[in-house]
Amino acid sequence: MTEKEVVVKSDAGVHARPAMMFVREAMKYPCEVFIVKDDVEANGKSIMSVLGLAITSGTRLIVRAAGQDEEDAVDRLVSLIENDFKN
Amino acid sequence: MEKRTIHIRDLTGNESKIDLHLVLVAGKAGVGKEISMGDINRPGLGLAGFFDFFAYDRIQIFGLGETAFMRQLAPDRKGEIFERFFSYSVRCCIFTHNEHPDELFLELANRHQVPTFVTTHRTTRFISLLTHVLEEIFSPMVVNHGTLVDVFGVGVLLMGKSGVGKSECALELVERGHRLVADDMVEIRKIDESLLMGYGSEVIRHHMEIRGLGIINVKDVFGIRSVRNRKRIELVVLLEEWASGKEYDRLGIDENKYSILDMDVPFITVPVRPGRNIPIIIETAALNQRLKKMGVYSARELDNRIQHWMMMEGRKRHD
Repeated sequence: MTEKEVVVKSDAGVHARPAMMFVREAMKYPCEVFIVKDDVEANGKSIMSVLGLAITSGTRLIVRAAGQDEEDAVDRLVSLIENDFKN
Repeated sequence: MEKRTIHIRDLTGNESKIDLHLVLVAGKAGVGKEISMGDINRPGLGLAGFFDFFAYDRIQIFGLGETAFMRQLAPDRKGEIFERFFSYSVRCCIFTHNEHPDELFLELANRHQVPTFVTTHRTTRFISLLTHVLEEIFSPMVVNHGTLVDVFGVGVLLMGKSGVGKSECALELVERGHRLVADDMVEIRKIDESLLMGYGSEVIRHHMEIRGLGIINVKDVFGIRSVRNRKRIELVVLLEEWASGKEYDRLGIDENKYSILDMDVPFITVPVRPGRNIPIIIETAALNQRLKKMGVYSARELDNRIQHWMMMEGRKRHD
């Protein structure tokens, strides 16, 4: 299992489009991907699950992955969040 | 995950659907204070001047008796008692029967920042409601990435890997008249030793993502009868891709269990493959679960019948 902490900086928080970008990236990896906010773990490959966390700007998150290519997945997804969900 | 403390303000807007009818009358500055585990105290003895073992860190409930006693206290004695009462770090006071505390009490509550509420409920009723609310707030919680559907009144938690078809199956169930509680993110609380309650996350409540369609609001598309906010979980169904080598249950005589928050829930594995009508299997599983709850076990009964028949046949042959 690999995990990394990241703070969401985009002003609008993680609304539908950023959530879709995240899930789309996460789906590219075979490992399981999770986002953790306040001890609540969401499935990083499910849009509803990610939206359900209601991640606002300034929230501290943990991106967690387990399985094949977990390190690449965490690096890629953390940088996606750090770059305001822009590719 | 288990909550150990809550803020006093959480009592007014709590997650359960119970309204405690609390109106804040003093001590607003203290509503951010924390209280731990949900015990309560009736401060009658303290008001009479006996402060040994005073459980100041619990929620203090003033019923009709306490208010009447306070009313008849002589002014100087009252001042002395109240000063003593508030010298402890009292967390929160609640007056029942819509009885408002007097000016002196309010002033001291404000000065010591002790949130003081008045409720219209009767004392016994209020205590039972409050206990219920606190139990729910303090109950152990876990988030599950399955889909929770009420099928014929049985709470069925569909689990399985992403893409196995949980949402599609839930959609078909909803279309057949069953109710969606939550998709992809189910908060499960153990309310007591025999009750697991599943809730949807508030922000995304009753929404679903169907690949190819995107996000749909089940309540808007299918109407109010297609959703509910919470449901007791009584059956866990794991959907998995049909693995040709794997042995699936063919009899259903043995009961499998799935453990959630240390509680065992009846559990079945349903293999998925193209052309298999999963929703109808789930419906049947839910009905079968209801039968089992009523003490009727189809597989065991058939087995008994067959054994009985064989015994009779055997006897005939011997005669």
